[in-house]
Amino acid sequence: MLWLVPAIPLLGSIILLCTEGRLPKMIVAVIGSGSVGLAALCALYIGMNVVVPGEWHYTETLWTWMAVGDFNPSVTLYLDGLSLVMTGVITGVGFLIHLYATGYMWEEEGYSRFFAYMNLFVFAMLMLVLGDNLLTLFLGWEGVGLCSYLLIGFFHTDPANGYAARKAFVVTRVGDTLMALGLFLLFREIGTLEIQAALDGATSTWPSGSGINTAICLLLLGGAVGKSAQVPLQTWLPDAMAGPTPVSALIHAATMVTAGVYLIARMQDIFLLPGPAMHWVAFVGLITLFISAFTALVQTDIKRILAFSTMSQIGYMFLALGVGAWSAGIFHLMTHAFFKALLFLASGSVILALHHEQDIFKMGGLWNKLKIPFWSMVIGSLALAALPLTSGFFSKDAILLTAYNESSYGVLFWIGAVSAAFMTSLYTTRMILITFFGELKTEPHDHSRINMWGPLLVLCALSIGGGWLGFTVLAPFMGDGGVPLEFHADLIALLTMGVPLIGIALGYLIWGNHTISVEGFVGSTLGERLSQFFFGGWGFDWTYDRLFVNPFVRLAQLNKSDFIDLMFTSIASLTAAIHRLVQRTQTGQLRWYATNMVVGLLLVVLIVIVQA
Amino acid sequence: MTILYLILFLLGAGLVACLVERTNANAPRWISLFAFIIATIWTGAIWLGGADPETGFYVTGELSWIPALGINVLLKVDGLSLVLIGLTTILGVIAVVSSWSEINVSRGFFQFNILWVMAGVIGVFCAYDLFLFFFFWEVMLIPMYFLIAIWGHEDRSYAAMKFFLFTQVSGLLMLVAIIALVWINYANTGVITFSYDELLNVELSGTVGSLLMLGFFIAFITKLPSVPVHTWLPDAHTQAPTAGSVILAGILLKTGGYGLIRFTVPLFEEASRDFAFVAMLLGVISILYGGYMAYSQSDFKRLVAYSSIAHMGFILVGVYAFNELGMQGAIVTMIAHGFSTAALFMMAGSLQERLHTREMSQMGGLWVKAPRMGAMTMFFVIASVGMPGLGNFIGEFLVLLGAFKVNVPLTVLATVGIVVAAVYGLSLMQRSFQGTPNAQVATMQDFGFREMSVYAIMIVALVWIGIYPQHVLDLAQPTLDALGIAL
Repeated sequence: MLWLVPAIPLLGSIILLCTEGRLPKMIVAVIGSGSVGLAALCALYIGMNVVVPGEWHYTETLWTWMAVGDFNPSVTLYLDGLSLVMTGVITGVGFLIHLYATGYMWEEEGYSRFFAYMNLFVFAMLMLVLGDNLLTLFLGWEGVGLCSYLLIGFFHTDPANGYAARKAFVVTRVGDTLMALGLFLLFREIGTLEIQAALDGATSTWPSGSGINTAICLLLLGGAVGKSAQVPLQTWLPDAMAGPTPVSALIHAATMVTAGVYLIARMQDIFLLPGPAMHWVAFVGLITLFISAFTALVQTDIKRILAFSTMSQIGYMFLALGVGAWSAGIFHLMTHAFFKALLFLASGSVILALHHEQDIFKMGGLWNKLKIPFWSMVIGSLALAALPLTSGFFSKDAILLTAYNESSYGVLFWIGAVSAAFMTSLYTTRMILITFFGELKTEPHDHSRINMWGPLLVLCALSIGGGWLGFTVLAPFMGDGGVPLEFHADLIALLTMGVPLIGIALGYLIWGNHTISVEGFVGSTLGERLSQFFFGGWGFDWTYDRLFVNPFVRLAQLNKSDFIDLMFTSIASLTAAIHRLVQRTQTGQLRWYATNMVVGLLLVVLIVIVQA
Repeated sequence: MTILYLILFLLGAGLVACLVERTNANAPRWISLFAFIIATIWTGAIWLGGADPETGFYVTGELSWIPALGINVLLKVDGLSLVLIGLTTILGVIAVVSSWSEINVSRGFFQFNILWVMAGVIGVFCAYDLFLFFFFWEVMLIPMYFLIAIWGHEDRSYAAMKFFLFTQVSGLLMLVAIIALVWINYANTGVITFSYDELLNVELSGTVGSLLMLGFFIAFITKLPSVPVHTWLPDAHTQAPTAGSVILAGILLKTGGYGLIRFTVPLFEEASRDFAFVAMLLGVISILYGGYMAYSQSDFKRLVAYSSIAHMGFILVGVYAFNELGMQGAIVTMIAHGFSTAALFMMAGSLQERLHTREMSQMGGLWVKAPRMGAMTMFFVIASVGMPGLGNFIGEFLVLLGAFKVNVPLTVLATVGIVVAAVYGLSLMQRSFQGTPNAQVATMQDFGFREMSVYAIMIVALVWIGIYPQHVLDLAQPTLDALGIAL
C-alpha cells in the first residue's frame, strides 16, 4: 500500500483541477491539506510496519511503464532509510505548510488552483524519492519542476512573476538535460536504469573507476546543481521568490531544492568509485555556500535573504556529500527543512500582516506586535545560525567536522565553511534586528488563526528538538549507523561551535546597539561597489544575460521570416523576372518583330558560316 | 476487404455531405462527424479483432486494377498502419468539431474535402502497391489544397500554392523513383509489378540505390517536414482553416514519417544506412532550427507550426538511429505529437474566432477571461515541452536513448532541443494567456461542453500514452520485426 502515499495527493490534485474552483473554500482547504496529511499518516504507518533493524528495503512494483527490447523500466516504488526520511519530510513538513497555506491564501484568487498545484507537487516529489529507477525519478524530477513553474507564476497577471517562473523552469531544464544525458550514458554502458541494479553494475564494471563513471557522475551532478540551485545554475532561485510564501517554504526551501542532494545521496555508490567526482560535488557546495552567504548579507527583501540562505545551506549539504558525510548531509537536509520552512512561514506571517511588504527596511519594531512570528523567526534563526543545542547545530557541526577531516582539501573546506557559518550568523542577526527591532514603521494587522500559528509552533519544536531526531529516529534508518557524533574538545571543534556566537555578537554590535558603524565602509567607493556586486548575486545573471539570453533573443528577432525560405522564393522571383523579361519582347509592333527576325536570321547564317 | 470499405465509406460520406448541403446547411458537419465516429469505432473493432497470427495483418484486401502493368489494389493493415489509422479517425472527429462554427461558405464541400483527405491518408497508411500508394498520396493532396485555398485566411492562395508545389515537386521525384524501381525489377525478373512485397527483393547497385532512395527520402522529408524543405509548412499552417491545420499537423505530416519507416528504409536498406548520418543531422538541425524559429514568431499559429518542425526532427533522428528504441520512439512521437499539436492548433483557431487575430502582441492575460482555455493551453504546452507522464516524453526519450547508442554528439545537440522547447513553449503561454490582461479584449467566451469534450479525448490519449505506452509499442513491434531490418 506504499502506492497510496503518492496517490492520495495526486487524487486531491485531480479533484481540485476537475472541479475548476467550484468547490467551497472550506472543502478545498480540507482536500488540499487533508490529502497531504493522509499521505503523511500512511507513510508513518508503513514506516512503523516495514522498518526492521539492520539492512532493509521494501519495494512495490505497480506496472511496467514500457518495454522496448531490453529497455523495460517499471513503475516501482522503493522504500529504504533514505527515501523514508525524504518521504517523512515531504509529507510531514508538507502537511504543515499546506495547513498554513489554507490560512495564508484565504483571501487570494484561485484558492482551489493553488492547492491543486501544491498537491500535484507533493505527488511528484514523492515519485522522485520513491522511484526505484531513474526514469521514475526523472518523472518526479520534471514534475516538481513543472509545479515549481506553475506556483512561482501563480499570480500570473504580473509579467514579472511569469518571467521568474520561466527563468526557473528553463535554467533547471539545462540541468535536467545534463541529467538526461547522464541517464542515456548510464543505460548505454550498464543496460539498465534501475537504481540498485545500475549501482551494482557500475561498481562491478568499474571497480577502479573510469572516465565514463566520472562523466556519468558529473552529468548527474549537473542535474543536481540545476534543481538545487547551486553554482553555476543557481540564478533562478532568488527570482523564484515571486511565488506565494508557502510555495517558497515548501518547494524552494524544504523539499524540491534538496532533490539534488537526494539524487547524489541515492547514487552515492558510483560517486564513491575512484575519480574526481566527489571533489567536484564538494567544491560546488563550497563555492555556493560561500558566495550566497555573502549575497544574503546585503539583501533588503526578507524572502531574498532567505533564498540566498537556502542556497548556502544546500551548499553545506553538497559539501557534506562531497566529503562522504552522507548521513550528515541528509541530516542537515532534514533539519534545514524544519527551520527553513519555519523561517519562511514566519516571514510569510509578517509579510501578510504588513500587506505584502517584503523590504526589511520598511519593517521594524514588530517584535511585540507579532509575537508568534517573532519568536518563530528567532528560533528558526538560531537553528540556521547553528547555535549549540538547536537542530541546525548538530547537523552542521557534523558536516564541518567531517569536512575538516577530508584528506586532500579538508582545511580549505573547513575554512570556507566556517567563514560562511560566520556570515550566516551575521546576516541572520541583521535580518532579525532590522525586521523586528528599532522604530515601528508600518502598523501590522495580524489575522492569523490556529491553522497558521499551529504549524509555526510545531516547526518551532522541530527546529529546536529536531537534532535529537537525528540520533533517535534517523540513525537506525541510515545504512551506515547514523550520524557520527563525537564532541572533540580540541580547538577546531570549539571554533566550529563558537564562530556563530561571534557572528551574532558582531551583528548585535552593528545593527543592535550601533556600537560599530559600517556606514563609512559601505559609503566608500569600494564598499559600494562590493555591496552592489554582492547584491546582484556576484554578477552571474549579468553574465548569463549577455552570454546567452541577449544573443538568443536578438538572433530570433533577426530571422523572424526564416532566411531558408529565400532559397525557394528566389526561384519564384527568378521565374517571374524571366517572365517579365520575355514579356517585353511582345510589344505588338511590327517593326520590332521584323528587326528581331532579321537579327535572328543573320545570327543563324553567321553560326553556319563559322561552323563551316 | 474491410479496409477498402472503410475508405469507400469515408469517400461516400464526403459525397453525401456535399450533396446534402442544399437541403440543410447544417447537415454536412453532422454527417462528417458521425462518419468519423463510425470510422473510429470501426478501427477499434479491427484492433479488437486481432491480427492474423501467421501474417501479422489485421485485415487485408486485394482487387485487380490494371493487370497489364501489374498494378493492384493491395491493402494490408498491420499494427503500425492500424495505430496510425486510429489516430486519423480520431483526429477526424477532432477536426470536424474544431471547425464546427468556423465555416460559413460551402459547408458541404468543406466536409467533402475533409473526408476525402482522411480517406486518402488511410489509403496511404495501408497501400501495399506502390502505384496505389502514390495514388493515395495525391488523393490527400488535392482536397488539402482546396481546404487552404478556399477556407483559409488572408494569404490563403499563396500558402495553398506553395503547399501544392512543394508536395507536387517532391512527389514527382518519388514517382520517378517508383517507376525506376519497377523498371529495374522488370529488367531483372521480367515481371512488371508495383507490389511492395515483390519490390523489397530488388537488388540495387550502390549508386542507383542511393539515387532512388533520395527520391523517396526527399518526398517524405518534404512532407515531414525537415529543414531545409520545411518552408511551406508555416505558411500552410497559418493560413489553413482550423480543421485544415489539425489535419495537416496531426496526420499529414505523419505520412512522411510513415513513408520513411515503411518504404525508404526497407526498400533501400543499405543506402539508408549509409545515409543515416546525414538524415540524423537533418533531424537535429530541424529540432534546433525549428525550436529557434518557433521562439521568434509572434503569430500563435506560426509558432506552433515551427514547433512541429522541431518535433518532427525527432522522428528523423529516431528512424535513422537504426535501432528498436529509436524506431519505437519515432512512432510514439508521431502519435503523441498528433494529439498535442492538434490541440494547440485548435486553440489557435478558437482564439482567432474570438479575437480575430493570431498576433500574440494583441493577446496577453487571457487566462483571466477564459480560464478553461488557459488551462487547456497550459496542458498541451506542457505536453509538447516533453513532460514525463505524457505521450510526447515517451517518444522523445526513446528516440534520444536510441540515438545516443549510435551518435553521441548529435544526440547531445538534439537533447539541447528540449531546453529550446521549454523556451518557446513557455513564451507562447506567457504571451497569450499570462501577463497583464490586454485592455482591448473586453470579454472572451470560454470553452463550453463541446470544446471541453474534445480536449478531454486528447488529454486522455496523451496521459494514456504517457503512463502506459505499451499498447502503441506492442502494435508497432511486429511491424518493426517484419520489416526485416536488423535493428
